[in-house]
Amino acid sequence: MSSDIRKWFMKQHDKGNGTASKPAAKPASAASEKPPSPVLDELVQGAQENSGRRKTSKYFATTTATESGSKQTTKDGKVTQKSPAKRKAQKIREDFQDDVKPVPAKKFHKDEDDDFVPSNDKKKAAEVKPSKKLKSGSGGGVSKNSVDKDDDDYDEDELDDKYVETPIKAGGRGRGGRGAGAAAGGRGRGGGRGGFMNFGERKDPPHKGEKEVPEGAPECLAGLTFVISGTLDSLEREEAEDLIKHHGGRVTGSVSKRTSFLLADEDIGGRKSSKAKELGIPFLTEDGLFDMIRKSKPAKAHVQEEQKKKVEKSPIKSTPLKVEAKVDRVGSGGRKDAAKIVKSGTSPGKPKIQSTDRSSLTWTEKYRPKVPNDIIGNQSLVKQLHDWLIHWNEQFLHTDQKGKGKKQADSGSKKAVLLSGSPGIGKSTSAKLVSQMLGFQAIEVNASDNRGKADTKIVKGVGGNTSNSIKELISNEALSCGKNWSKHPKSVLIMDEVDGMSAGDRGGVADLIASIKISKIPIICICNDRYSQKLKSLVNYCLLLNFRKPTKQQMAKRLKQIADAEGLQVNEIALEELADRVNGDMRMAINQLQYMSLSQSVINYDDIRQRLLSSSKDEDISPFTAVDKLFGFNGGKLRMDERIDLSMSDPDLVPLIIQENYINYRPSSIGKDDNGVKRMNLLARAAESIGDGDIVNVQIRRYRQWQLSQAGSFASCIIPAALMHGHRETLEPGERNYNRFGGWLGKNSTTGKNLRLLEDVHIHILASQEANMNRETLRVDYFTLLLKQLTDPLRVMPKEEAVQKVVELMDTYSLSQEDFDTIVELSKFRGHPNPMEGIQPAVKAALTKAYKQGSSSRVVRAADLITLPGVKKAPKKRIAAMLEPVEGGLAEENGDAVAEGEEEDSSDSEDTDDVGSNTNGEAKPQLDLLGNKPKGVQVELDLKSNGKSKSGAKKKTPASKSQGSESAGKGPRGSGGGKRKR
Amino acid sequence: MGQILQVPYPLPSLLNPHLHLVKSPLFFPAFPPLLTPLLLSRALSLSLQLLLHRAFFPLSPPHPKMLWVDKYRPRTLDKVIVHEEIAGNLKKLISEQDCPHLLFYGPPGSGKKTLIMALLKQMFGPGAEKVKLENKMWKIDAGTRKIELELTMLSSTHHVELNPSDAGFQDRYIVQEIIKEMARNRPIDTKGKKGYKVLVLNEVDKLSREAQHSLRRTMEKYSASCRLILCCNSSSKVTEAVRSRCLNIRVNAPTEEQIIKVLEFIGKKENLQLPPGFAARIAAQSNRSLRRAILSLETCRVQQYPFTANQAVLPMDWEQYVSEIASDIIMEQSPKRLFLVRGKIYELLVNCIPPEIILKKLLSELLKKLDSELKHEVCHWAAYYEHRMRLGQKAIFHIEAFVAKFMSIYKGFLIATFS
Repeated sequence: MSSDIRKWFMKQHDKGNGTASKPAAKPASAASEKPPSPVLDELVQGAQENSGRRKTSKYFATTTATESGSKQTTKDGKVTQKSPAKRKAQKIREDFQDDVKPVPAKKFHKDEDDDFVPSNDKKKAAEVKPSKKLKSGSGGGVSKNSVDKDDDDYDEDELDDKYVETPIKAGGRGRGGRGAGAAAGGRGRGGGRGGFMNFGERKDPPHKGEKEVPEGAPECLAGLTFVISGTLDSLEREEAEDLIKHHGGRVTGSVSKRTSFLLADEDIGGRKSSKAKELGIPFLTEDGLFDMIRKSKPAKAHVQEEQKKKVEKSPIKSTPLKVEAKVDRVGSGGRKDAAKIVKSGTSPGKPKIQSTDRSSLTWTEKYRPKVPNDIIGNQSLVKQLHDWLIHWNEQFLHTDQKGKGKKQADSGSKKAVLLSGSPGIGKSTSAKLVSQMLGFQAIEVNASDNRGKADTKIVKGVGGNTSNSIKELISNEALSCGKNWSKHPKSVLIMDEVDGMSAGDRGGVADLIASIKISKIPIICICNDRYSQKLKSLVNYCLLLNFRKPTKQQMAKRLKQIADAEGLQVNEIALEELADRVNGDMRMAINQLQYMSLSQSVINYDDIRQRLLSSSKDEDISPFTAVDKLFGFNGGKLRMDERIDLSMSDPDLVPLIIQENYINYRPSSIGKDDNGVKRMNLLARAAESIGDGDIVNVQIRRYRQWQLSQAGSFASCIIPAALMHGHRETLEPGERNYNRFGGWLGKNSTTGKNLRLLEDVHIHILASQEANMNRETLRVDYFTLLLKQLTDPLRVMPKEEAVQKVVELMDTYSLSQEDFDTIVELSKFRGHPNPMEGIQPAVKAALTKAYKQGSSSRVVRAADLITLPGVKKAPKKRIAAMLEPVEGGLAEENGDAVAEGEEEDSSDSEDTDDVGSNTNGEAKPQLDLLGNKPKGVQVELDLKSNGKSKSGAKKKTPASKSQGSESAGKGPRGSGGGKRKR
Repeated sequence: MGQILQVPYPLPSLLNPHLHLVKSPLFFPAFPPLLTPLLLSRALSLSLQLLLHRAFFPLSPPHPKMLWVDKYRPRTLDKVIVHEEIAGNLKKLISEQDCPHLLFYGPPGSGKKTLIMALLKQMFGPGAEKVKLENKMWKIDAGTRKIELELTMLSSTHHVELNPSDAGFQDRYIVQEIIKEMARNRPIDTKGKKGYKVLVLNEVDKLSREAQHSLRRTMEKYSASCRLILCCNSSSKVTEAVRSRCLNIRVNAPTEEQIIKVLEFIGKKENLQLPPGFAARIAAQSNRSLRRAILSLETCRVQQYPFTANQAVLPMDWEQYVSEIASDIIMEQSPKRLFLVRGKIYELLVNCIPPEIILKKLLSELLKKLDSELKHEVCHWAAYYEHRMRLGQKAIFHIEAFVAKFMSIYKGFLIATFS
């Protein structure tokens, strides 16, 4: 079939395709305008044929001899019978099965002007098919030779399917895609790019945006399932997906038997391709896909149609009635998979009529499931609910009579049930339906009713507010209170939206629980979030049924039913997309559907996509995902609103993660950068922008300029990401190549902690009155010397002498042992030797001992546990840290002590004022907590009168517990180990 | 180096309104051991909320183990040896019995605090040295909400010293409420001649603008019962309004000669053998901060006593670290290095080194190693990022931005120059 000249031509032609938007149309129409010269015709035909073959070329290569043979014969027949033009039209149709559907409206109108216009695509298709069938159908090896027109139509569809399906058997892209010259050309460009796929990231398509994306007939890929693998030649994966879906195809994530094609421009030898080879699934290149779509183009159909018009006698026209019949059917089902047409027997009638007789009911009400089986998804839960309700009476009412023993025994059964799940997935509906089915009278109480705590005196409440009625209802079934609901023999109470019980419903949940306990009727509670704080207590009393979101297939199925019933033309791909976008919310899906039905009766994939573009973004996105996306290789292609959404997904964390990681990215925008200057420049700009973000953030937080928050996220996230997006590199050996969590938070809190410690030291030094400096000076200037004075003697001098010297210094500046540690800790620098290095543990121990000994005689100058100004305290932590270095046995006691201390803390601080005022003026014994207590609970407390004369008796209390309580009585300053003044 | 004293206040006639204070060498020569009776701390009698108390009488003799920097701190105006002239003027000011509000400003380590303490002593006698440390909690009604603030203050009967900037951005309330309240209460003890109390506010340059605005009204309204002594590093961060209400006293950093003098004086007192030039080296490294000079002298003493002529004067631990960072930056400019530098800067920040100081030190270390043509630009950017750092909150972002900027400039320069 393919002569050399054709190949040559095809190549030329294909190159042209790259730029021309309507590749095949021009030559074809040219041919149709005038009676073409045979040569040209031949060429054109060849070209089209070939490009067609490239798309589904496998069927040429692989179709059985009989088939191709029959084709050949048909063609031959045509050649003899028809004029060249006619023949060509035929041929085109034959070769490009998908083309047959779109036929110009003109013709159609001629035939049936009164018909509903928007659906004419389908009708056209249907109309044309038979005509083709007449000629080619008999030749199709697979189709049965049927006489009936309608059957013919189906056969044609089947044939379509067959053609499309054949490649599966054929397999092997080498035979198919490669065989065609154009495809090979397409591959040629990308051929060298085999192994660049880095793990986990996808490269940009090498010829991104260079190719014209074809526009084909709306349903030309219907019934086909694609799997995309690797990088395509010019399309982003998402774009390719859209393209396929737009044309009615289906895109799945992994290769299975049902996959029709594996769309790949390069064989990267991944799992997908090997699986596909195993299953014999054909490969399809991007060009192949384009051709597939392109050749379904309506423009071509125009040509065909016109040509057909020239040939006056057309079998279709001769039998208008039949056409009509077909139109009807196709009109209803045409949007479906071609293959499914046979099965879908329903024909809801013409859309026009449908649109007029839409009832005023909203669809959500209109199509609310009428029987439990109609409920989409969660069938097992519905069943469970059903069983629970059935057995409720015998379980609870009967056991009541028999005595409580049995009830207790059957612990698994709960008197109430709690349905939870996201909105719009049919919780209320299930509850109502099930109770209705079992003959219960459902009494629904929802957020619109007052559900506060019932009056204690029920008598009063009879006929009063709802809660009282409920109480009434559940407590005594027989009592009639004027509301007819309780007269009903079997009732069930449906408490809808229990998590919405709020301000107005004081004590609502508690009352509900009480009600459940005494209830004589089943209670169904419904909520969205069962982990809500409010429902914590309720869940213990309820059988929990967690409704899950229905799958998109389930939803699409139901939506399809609705659409059919409303005469709406939507294909399943579109509906699945809709189901996907609404995130499982059936109600929203139906609402959207109804809304769209107002403006159009044919809804396709693109409509839904556009309509719901924004609503799809609602799902939660973690800050890491957001940063990944922003910095990702394709980060530059995000729309601005997407970027804002991403950066706003967590306006606190995202900037921090960005700041932490921006250095790691090699910007994709710099191109070749030999010495890294460009990258360095970008880094500087990004860093400055991050700084801007910080400044804006100060304005936002400190001066509450929240309107700046967008500017803030712009500066702190979007600009750095825009500058730096690209590949992530690791900077440290052994680092995992994932974004780190923002380090600032941790460092900041450490800084805060150290500042508190430093402040402790500072205060102690101030209290010693030997020096007066501020905190910064202390750290910046004094610390070096202090550290030297404190540690050097320990290192070089003999033990006794050194210890004595150090303790003396500590006493002079009233430094505690904690302060000693602080000074050491704050002088540690990574990469520098530890200041404590070279000090013998024995010396350290001696120091501790000496210090402790001194504590009995030491004059206390600074109360130890001083709270710090302007610094947030975390007393618990610090206490824990203080008590931590304790030998194992004491650990438990410590915990107690801490807890005790905490408790005392609150009571103490209350006391403080009164005691303080009472005791003002007296000499007061003061407790001082000396230093770090490595001995844990054995806190040593120096109980000292302050005066020199009344040198205090030292008091040693073994446990801070007793000390704590004792001191609480004595004075506000008394504190156990865990005491911290607030 | 002379400094003009602005005198918006009615001044005692003795004080020349345009007095040039020449940095004057003064460090008082001897420290008389004041043997003072140990008294019961007054803190005992105070509310128990005052957590701190004194057991020592403040005027106890200098502890033998005290650091030199504290040991040889002049306690009276007479004994001051650096800034002698300021001291003299202050003395005259006091003797007139009417003291304006004072604003001391000058670089760290120049002797502001010393002067203030000596001044207080001059005003109130030894009573001013009986200081106690209080940790007070204040409940402030700030319109819509109640704010609880805690503040540590050093107070004697005559004065209160506090750090209002400790309260962070709530410092406004301190000024509005606490200072006002303290200023309002006239001291009961009027038997003496001083009918006012002194409030020493440290670090006023760190006060927010709002707080400074609140301050100026307080200064006027309660001037009868209260004098403010403000102390800060840079007067440029104090608003005009506040500055004009004070007698501004600039305390210059001592010159290296002065520092050397003091060091030698201490050396004599401590019976040290200072090799020739050693004091000069310490002084040169001290950045003209007397405190730092004395501290490093003692550090050297601890490190190695009989001093040798070429003994290294160790820089501060953090300074050393910063200069390491600087050489890291100069050595290589790459994202990897930037990341490394970030880690080191975090290290400094975690160790409570103020970010401004880090940036400043980093700049000076970088400048040492830089070609002169780049210096101007780099200084510009350092100033730029320091300004932004003060506007912002997360210092590391801005320091890192400076480092990145420097790297990008320097790298560009290197490439342009050498290839």
